[in-house]
Amino acid sequence: MSEVAVAAGGRAALRGRLGSEAPSAAVRPDTRRALQLGLAAIWLLDGVLQYQPFMYTKAFARSLAAAAAGNPAVIARPITWDATLVGHHLVLLNTIFATIQLLLGVGIAFRPTVRLALAASVAWSLGVWWFGEGLGGVLNGGADLVNGGPGAVILYALLAVLLWPADRPGKPAPCIAARAVGAPVARALWLVLWLSFGCSALLPANRAPQAINGMIVSMNSGQPGWLAAILRAAAALVAGQGLATSIVLAVACAVVAVGVYLPRRAAAAGLALAIVMAVVVWVAAQALGGILASGATDPNSGPLLVLLALAYWPARRRPARPAAPSAAAAAGSLVG
Amino acid sequence: MTPNWLLDLVAAFTLVVAGVSAARLAVARPWRAGSVIIDTDIAHLLMAIAMAGMLTPSLRTFPSAVWEVIFAGLIVLFGFRVVRDARANGLRALAAGHCAPHLVHSASMLYMFLAIGPVGGSAGAAGMTGMSGMSGSMELLKYPTLAFVFTLILIGYGIWDLDQLSGKRYSLSSARMPLAGIRATPAPALAGAEPAAAASSGPPPEGRAAGAARPAAGNADGRAFPADPDAVGGGAGGDGTGAVGGRAGQFLLSPAVTVGARVVMGAAMAFMLLILI
Repeated sequence: MSEVAVAAGGRAALRGRLGSEAPSAAVRPDTRRALQLGLAAIWLLDGVLQYQPFMYTKAFARSLAAAAAGNPAVIARPITWDATLVGHHLVLLNTIFATIQLLLGVGIAFRPTVRLALAASVAWSLGVWWFGEGLGGVLNGGADLVNGGPGAVILYALLAVLLWPADRPGKPAPCIAARAVGAPVARALWLVLWLSFGCSALLPANRAPQAINGMIVSMNSGQPGWLAAILRAAAALVAGQGLATSIVLAVACAVVAVGVYLPRRAAAAGLALAIVMAVVVWVAAQALGGILASGATDPNSGPLLVLLALAYWPARRRPARPAAPSAAAAAGSLVG
Repeated sequence: MTPNWLLDLVAAFTLVVAGVSAARLAVARPWRAGSVIIDTDIAHLLMAIAMAGMLTPSLRTFPSAVWEVIFAGLIVLFGFRVVRDARANGLRALAAGHCAPHLVHSASMLYMFLAIGPVGGSAGAAGMTGMSGMSGSMELLKYPTLAFVFTLILIGYGIWDLDQLSGKRYSLSSARMPLAGIRATPAPALAGAEPAAAASSGPPPEGRAAGAARPAAGNADGRAFPADPDAVGGGAGGDGTGAVGGRAGQFLLSPAVTVGARVVMGAAMAFMLLILI
């Protein structure tokens, strides 16, 4: 629309209200920056969720203590100590936890602090993975893709590393995830992650006839009608089919895991499968992380797996250009 | 339950936004002849007062019904602008324009006023006894899915705004751009506006500089402003902004302050929505 025309049309008094933002053109983020912003949004969501009334009750401290169950003493003891400490200083510590997560989100979204915030998020994630999630059930056999294992929070750390705003010298990276750490490392991380999903699906605790059904049913309490109906349908679908479901999951995870080593189209197909699996599991098994039933500290692993898959999406092939200016490359790497 | 001091703190943040918005209105002097109001500041002012009242019962002002009418009105206003902007600039207007976030803010406020109520037996009913002045009863939002959707959109806009703020999209000064108190001017007066080179309600087409997208008119989200400082209503302050207060006034009227206020409002709203689920 032409503003000149509007003004000339005699309606300036109506339309001439000045936009108080009066922005210049949007600063268009590149793909890595967009993914960083996605990560920032999830951190921000985490932070706000941590302020929920449930987190200010003893139930939060108990949920932390429960993470110690089944872990070796060297892992469990600090978790118990931490849970006791949180129980004694619930309001103060929970407010600090929530504020830290809020600041991580804001820090990643704010360009000058993106490196600091990403580095801090790695440290924070590892701490929460141990003290809050008991290493995601990795050591007690409870980790499973369906229930968010091996802990959604470790995926935050992984994303922070892969989305680090730096570029390795040499030929162009095949995907965003490879820009900071290089293609071999990035692919190896993806392979390990998805193979671990596949292996955990085959663990005895997860392949029992009612194991996956039980996980889904446990998420149903307090959900709104539409989501409860989806969960009921999903639970009915896998009822008594634990082994078959686990095998299907394991095979799918293996396909996704090796997909990043395949040619571009096949890799994209594997990543698309990963996104579909993440979304289906997030909605039909993780119940959106339990946010709608209140008491969730994070949206669980679904959105993070989608972000991760997008970070591995094969880059478009660009026609070769004569000697790209290094200054532009340096500027581009400032924030992503 | 969420401690009262935390709710009071968030209420204080919203009141700061209310104060900033009121100061912007005062500095812009929209009541002068030929001036027009700054819609977003009025929206921020109203939302901030309403939110403070929801968070802290002692700050309650109007009954819920009044706020519902007010926010329904704002929805119509910003909805109209968004539709107009979308017709002109496509769906990009939703992401980059300023009316869409305000539309979402207004809709979130209306939803909160309509959907809040005492709810029993919910898993999350750990207590929001301070909200809405209904002391002693637990208040939660009906249709929590809607609250979640609003929260996601609010967080999305907040993150985008933070990125754009730090990407220097928004100026900290209004010196080169009249930001308030605009008098209606004929089209020729718009030509040659320097800020027009940078102004756009949406991202410019690929490969084009921002300035190339809007050759003549200053465009702030689908609205016009004149280039000539003399055309600004008021003119006091001698800075061409039509505002009083000199440099402080310019800073107060800068786009960055408005966007900063919007980020705070969005975060406070997301906080309220999630603790009421």
